[in-house]
Amino acid sequence: MGGKVTCTLGEVKNRADFIVYWGGNPAECHPRHFTKYTLMQKSPFLPRGRKDRTMVLVDIRETKSAKASNIFLQVRPGKDFELITLLRAMIKDQPISEAQVAETGLTIEQLQDFVSRMKAAKYGVFFFGMGLSMTRGKHMNSAALLTLAAEMNAFTKFVAMPMRGHGNVTGADVIMRWQTGYPFGISFNRGYPRYNPGEFSTVDVLVRGDTDCAFIIGADPGATMPQPAIDHLAKVPTIVLDPHVTHTSKLARVHITTAPAGISAPGTAYRMDEIPLPLRPALKSPYPSDEEVVRRIKEALLEKPDWMGERPQMLQNQI
Amino acid sequence: MSEKRYLLNPMRTAKQGVHVNVGKDGDEYIEITTTLSIHADDMAEIGVSDGDRVLVKTEFGEAEFGCQTAKVPAGMIFVPYGPPTCQLMGGSTDGTGMPTSKGWEVEIEPVGRAKPEADAE
Repeated sequence: MGGKVTCTLGEVKNRADFIVYWGGNPAECHPRHFTKYTLMQKSPFLPRGRKDRTMVLVDIRETKSAKASNIFLQVRPGKDFELITLLRAMIKDQPISEAQVAETGLTIEQLQDFVSRMKAAKYGVFFFGMGLSMTRGKHMNSAALLTLAAEMNAFTKFVAMPMRGHGNVTGADVIMRWQTGYPFGISFNRGYPRYNPGEFSTVDVLVRGDTDCAFIIGADPGATMPQPAIDHLAKVPTIVLDPHVTHTSKLARVHITTAPAGISAPGTAYRMDEIPLPLRPALKSPYPSDEEVVRRIKEALLEKPDWMGERPQMLQNQI
Repeated sequence: MSEKRYLLNPMRTAKQGVHVNVGKDGDEYIEITTTLSIHADDMAEIGVSDGDRVLVKTEFGEAEFGCQTAKVPAGMIFVPYGPPTCQLMGGSTDGTGMPTSKGWEVEIEPVGRAKPEADAE
């Protein structure tokens, strides 16, 4: 687990001749990915575009993305970690057994072909999705794939990138990272940031009932989180900033309608390769931006008596 | 009721993604998030056909879905993320911060024929 060897999508567009989607279905979830970055674009290094690129899809079922791929590898559910570990062994010519390969649902010939194609590539990319990161093994699956990408650099250029979700989830991680040093699962309750996934992460805090208030900006945990977490949101005073009526806004005590970011409110969105993109509003909105509402709430809070005796430094300096 | 256990994989679809922005109040969003894709042999084994309702149970909860035959591996069912899948999800994150969102073992039992009009609201 030694970090991420990665690149920008611009590099993928110009240079990547071997593209692997692992546990993701970009044809449904990232419909512009093929055309803008990974398959269809021509470049000085890949003048024939799609014909110069090979795409491999690794998934538990034949999704719409399989139609776009050159090779589809149907891995048995929950066996991604085992498959990646076998590939790590094979690229270094370490012995593997037929029984180990059979457990993954693939054949030794498929794996040998995959390894030889990876090594023959000039610039390889692993894009990995929720099929890898949200199944059994979770971050260990992602870490194994990142390690495989790093180890492939002994043979050729190889990088990895998570297929981040809708909205600006990458931006949230990036901002938390440069402000606190940590990407998520952060507690500020001592006045300085502490990081511990499983303890301070949102689902855990809600399921344990550790919070007596929730402030939710541009997210809908009421339609995505486990039911025990949703039940706790309904119990405590929950405040939601969202342009739409959502499942979360329906259970909240307060819903403030805000302008849709990037459409009616300016801001910066981070692409999945962590490139910041400034957005100018295309339309006007009668509603305030999230930023304005948060700023006004902060100003109102600062007028309240200081319940901690000495106001925490973070609260004074942020925003 | 079928004794067999199936592997439930909540997933994302383009249509479901559209409704994140359009709004989640409409009948179409409800239809999308309460329709599961299942292999024809599994449907026969459970004793249901296209459009029939089934009750899906995990150790954490249960939710009702409509069935739709699809080209998916036998033994696995797929359904777009939404409030019904939340009811099936456990709260533990195994210390990672991320609840297990795919690959749950579930039981399925039929609850009746196609959904009546009144239930759509």
